[in-house]
Amino acid sequence: MTGFLLRRLTASLLLLLLVATGAFFLVHAAPGDPTETFEGQRINRLQRDHLRQLYGLDRSLGEQYLRWLGALARGELGISFSQQRPVAAIIAEAFPATLLLAAAAVTVEFGTALLLGIAAARRRGGLADGVIRIASMVLFSQPPFWIAMMLVLLFAYVWPVLPASHMHSVDADLLSPAGRFLDLLKHLLLPALALGLYNAGATLRFVRGSLLEVMGMDYIRAARARGLSERRVLWVHGLRNALTPLVQLFALTFPQLLNGALLTEIIFAWPGLGRATFFAILSRDYPLILGLTLFSTFVVVSGNWVADLLQAAADPRVRHA
Amino acid sequence: MNRIIRPLLPILLAVLLAGCGTREETRPNGDGAASGTPRRGGTVVTGWTTEPLGVNDLIFPTTSVGSEVLFRTHQHLVEERPDFAEHPATFAPQLAESWEWSDDHKTLTFHLRKGLVWSDGVPLTAEDVRWTWQAQVHPAVFWDSAYMKERIRDVEVVDPQTVRFHFLRVYAKQLLDVNEGLILPKHLWSQIPFEKWRESGDWFYQHRLAAGPFKIDSWTPQQEMVLVRNDRYWRKDRPYLDRVVLRFVPDANSLTTQLLNGELDFIAQVSPSDAERIRERPDLAVVPFWSNLFVAIAWNHTRPLFADAEVRRALTLAIDRQAIVDTLLPGGNGRVGISPFLQAVWAHDKTLQPWPYDPAEARRILAAKGWKDTDGDGLLDRGGKSFSFELASNAGNQARNDAAVMIQQQLRKVGIEAKPRILEFNTLVTDTRTGHFDATIMGMSIDTSLDLSGNFHSRSIGNGDNFFRYSNPEVDRLIDLAASKPDLAQAEPIFHQIERLLHRDQPATFLWESQRLAALNRRLHDARPNLQNAFFNLQDWWVEPRR
Repeated sequence: MTGFLLRRLTASLLLLLLVATGAFFLVHAAPGDPTETFEGQRINRLQRDHLRQLYGLDRSLGEQYLRWLGALARGELGISFSQQRPVAAIIAEAFPATLLLAAAAVTVEFGTALLLGIAAARRRGGLADGVIRIASMVLFSQPPFWIAMMLVLLFAYVWPVLPASHMHSVDADLLSPAGRFLDLLKHLLLPALALGLYNAGATLRFVRGSLLEVMGMDYIRAARARGLSERRVLWVHGLRNALTPLVQLFALTFPQLLNGALLTEIIFAWPGLGRATFFAILSRDYPLILGLTLFSTFVVVSGNWVADLLQAAADPRVRHA
Repeated sequence: MNRIIRPLLPILLAVLLAGCGTREETRPNGDGAASGTPRRGGTVVTGWTTEPLGVNDLIFPTTSVGSEVLFRTHQHLVEERPDFAEHPATFAPQLAESWEWSDDHKTLTFHLRKGLVWSDGVPLTAEDVRWTWQAQVHPAVFWDSAYMKERIRDVEVVDPQTVRFHFLRVYAKQLLDVNEGLILPKHLWSQIPFEKWRESGDWFYQHRLAAGPFKIDSWTPQQEMVLVRNDRYWRKDRPYLDRVVLRFVPDANSLTTQLLNGELDFIAQVSPSDAERIRERPDLAVVPFWSNLFVAIAWNHTRPLFADAEVRRALTLAIDRQAIVDTLLPGGNGRVGISPFLQAVWAHDKTLQPWPYDPAEARRILAAKGWKDTDGDGLLDRGGKSFSFELASNAGNQARNDAAVMIQQQLRKVGIEAKPRILEFNTLVTDTRTGHFDATIMGMSIDTSLDLSGNFHSRSIGNGDNFFRYSNPEVDRLIDLAASKPDLAQAEPIFHQIERLLHRDQPATFLWESQRLAALNRRLHDARPNLQNAFFNLQDWWVEPRR
């Protein structure tokens, strides 16, 4: 097991280094540099050179890379060019919001998918199955930003029962802790629906297909032959096996959501990683872009690492693969 | 003032046009403003698509909302009035209650108000003014407007209420240059050496102070900033409001929705189509005012196609700019551009007319220059090369992208191929700055000093914002001559000469000038946004209670 862990850890670190290196050179290869975008437009060439010197942009790309890597090895992500504060602080500020949104979106996604996927599988070929399948296609074919805009239009304008943006109301500080929590839930609902419903379309079909496949297997027929009720066959024998692959899907989806749902965060003014990334790119804020990229990679790699670990614990064959 | 506009565009020259264009319908509260009695207290919630980056504007890139906030929490020595429609802008006392020039116009003495204090109770004195200047010009601070202080030789503290600026020479922008930048608190911020400023953004926020009508109460990044009344503001009868909340909403559509559903009271800018929706609501109002921006096609003069002024003029004649304005800025929200001197500024030569749409004359000029369709492919050609070029505009600016398509169709009628190319903003800026472009649709502005040296003087080619690579020695001379006048009013005939030369040479085709549209809830009174600031008179705003 120790050897397995070391192998996985080494592979993860190498992957991080690879992504960091790729991101570094790609960011620097993109047209424009910070001195031309966010430091005002009226500085002359001399001033621009001075600024490049200040940010270390006057050094060779190789030297900049090594210095950045060195800082990274010391656990420093650098200072944001545009905000003049540590990149780590900016990420730490944005991550909880993204984590909350991702968790809520995953709940919407998997809740909807399970509910409707099972209903469709149980009524295979029936009207409900047809309606659910069409609905899943409709959901899946709508981009999340479109779903978001429709939700805002419906629930914040035509029927204004939910706030259109932000995590809290203007006077949320004056509310009791319970009131604040409810206020947060109200603000969370629309972005979570926008993000979760889009993914639910595909996951729903996955659940339906997986359940139908399992329900046609010999052991299910054997269970029925033993006289078990259809409900017990479905919920105890069928669903347990049908949903095992869903765990892997979850392991893939959740880290992806943690990287920030850019458009959803923009539309709902949600203060997460996606929105921070968007503005970092617009301002060519190299340290912030690289810090966010690295953090996203770290989240995905860690997620996979944990998934591998769990799988290895469950299946000894994996440890020796 | 320059710093408000700078983030808006690739080139920023910054102007002010403020009050000049406000139409009667723009009175936010036709009834309320005139008849209501200002009421003290209340909260106004405003919406913005961008957010401030920090509280020390010497080290942060300027964002428009950043300036809006800092201009209300900090103060200048004097305040530029938005009265430049008929004469050069005048100044009102702010921290300084009076000022006087020496006979040789090389020394300017300010007398600060008595009893000025920072929000922590410490007196604001001439020492703060001098130390602010030292910070502004310190190389490690690297303030992006430090160049405006280059001609200030020294700043002398005469006594706690008197500070004197010494200039190297006499020139037109002396007062503007002195006044650029907000006065900062020496007693607190000098604890951080200048060398450490650019890594201390959080420290400055934690040690924020105010000398203006409001102070920052809280700031949740990417969410909102709350301003509250500064009880130590020198003007005791202002502000009326207790609180101003700035909500940051990157999506403009969402912003409009929130105004419509009552979550917001004020938006600094809405699109013309959203303005129509807002006007349908009796409880909301749209406040238009002429923008400092003009949109133009920058021709790259180093490209042989655009090196000849007559050809550039032919291109202008071949573009139906009135049709573009009528289509993209309907309802009187725009007008055809004439020159960089905006039509609502005192120095504009009112006898000058925009070049008309005259494709026949354009064809004649081009034919005289040797451009003819010799191979029958519908395109003009000369020396075996077709008249074809790329017309760039920036992604996300629908009006400019639409204009590019209209221009493509119009130029095609005279045998010219313009190929629209939409580029990401930063890429467009870089390409334009480095000369890797044929023609670009871009926005520009000009500040109250009417200094065109950044965009049209040949010394700004490659080292400034003369992206066109325009070079006319006579224009250079006149720009320098105007800048040397201690009183801008004396330069009016020179400005007219410059404007006529630019009109003749068409370094750029001036497409349109437009209005900006702010929107508000009618419970908000006396809000008079203008080009200088949307929050220009925030201390005078007052609200009726929410119903």
